[in-house]
Amino acid sequence: MRIVRNKKGQFILIAVMMIAIMIVSIGAVLHSAGTYYRYEQWEEYITLVEHIKFNTIRLVEISLANFTTCGNNSTGMHAYALRMYNSTLKDNLNQWQNDLRTAYPGYGVILAYELADGTNIDYFQGFASKWDETVSYSTANATFALNITSVGLTGFRFMATPLLSLAIVNASASTDEIIVAVTQEDEMPVLKLERDNFQVDGLNVTNVASSYDPDYVLVYTIKCDSNIPAAVTVRVRDHRGIQVIARSG
Amino acid sequence: MRVMRNTKGQMRVIETILASFIFFSALTFANMLAVLPSSPKYEISDLERMGHSVFHDLDEQGILSRFVYNETEWGELAFALMIVFQPDVYFDLTIYEVHTQDQPINQHFPIRFGAPEVFTASDSTASVSYILPGQQAEYSPRILILQLVRG
Repeated sequence: MRIVRNKKGQFILIAVMMIAIMIVSIGAVLHSAGTYYRYEQWEEYITLVEHIKFNTIRLVEISLANFTTCGNNSTGMHAYALRMYNSTLKDNLNQWQNDLRTAYPGYGVILAYELADGTNIDYFQGFASKWDETVSYSTANATFALNITSVGLTGFRFMATPLLSLAIVNASASTDEIIVAVTQEDEMPVLKLERDNFQVDGLNVTNVASSYDPDYVLVYTIKCDSNIPAAVTVRVRDHRGIQVIARSG
Repeated sequence: MRVMRNTKGQMRVIETILASFIFFSALTFANMLAVLPSSPKYEISDLERMGHSVFHDLDEQGILSRFVYNETEWGELAFALMIVFQPDVYFDLTIYEVHTQDQPINQHFPIRFGAPEVFTASDSTASVSYILPGQQAEYSPRILILQLVRG
């Protein structure tokens, strides 16, 4: 009689056991959901994206440096023509697309690019330059879209717009000093330029010193070995190898 | 009367809940104390992550390309890697020209920490690749392959 009465609790026991199993199952699911992101290699993918972006921008800088070196020994229209029809950036980026795939097999790295053409500063195949003026510059402009198919990343966009600008602030013929301002992207002054970074046509540079200027923030005073002529040509090459030539008078 | 009789099963229910609670508590506690064997999969991904970070940091500081493109500074590169990696991490860096990948260009100057056998004998050797576009005005891409093993 007692055994028969106790049988009535069996269903409750089974129900409790099932609830316990359900709780444990839900716990296991929640645990795996919480730890999924820890084991997935997100950090590696982010580093990969950052690396490709960083070195692609550097490649544009290298190409711009190459572009500004082209026709370095030529002058006037010839130098202009050499630069004008320079396709270095396009060629390098085409190779870079393939080389990225070689370096990262299995990731599905696809880098698309678009070079600036026309616009307000006359880009041609991504490059633009205005030299032999009191304020001169060399610049490049390219827009990129990165896909990494293995992780489902599509359309990560970034731009590369390296720029080097040289302004002759003061070059009076009666002295042996030229004051110039050198700026890069976002009008930031270029720091730590030394004597080797500057060249003055027809004169030897004896010393270069930097100082604060209220208009340009930072200016360089180039001291030459003799008095400067009325029209003077100054060349500057920054740490990236990008060159600009400015002329006063 | 029926209600009173049904209350006799309540203790069993409470017993079962308590038993389940004790059982799962014991499991959780045992799991906390257990020393699980290291998984080669996670070990490799951890080393790969470390390798990517080291390359990225050195490159952002501008010293990676300077070291890689100046053969006289490969010794400095090995020294820099020894500093940034933990002492129990062995590494072997090989540098290839992208378009002539047959032989590493540093084959006569191994940039390595640890005996070569460490890398061949280990089951969990991580491999990280990195590409540099060039230096100054010249496009001359080089691929770096870094092998990592924890000692």
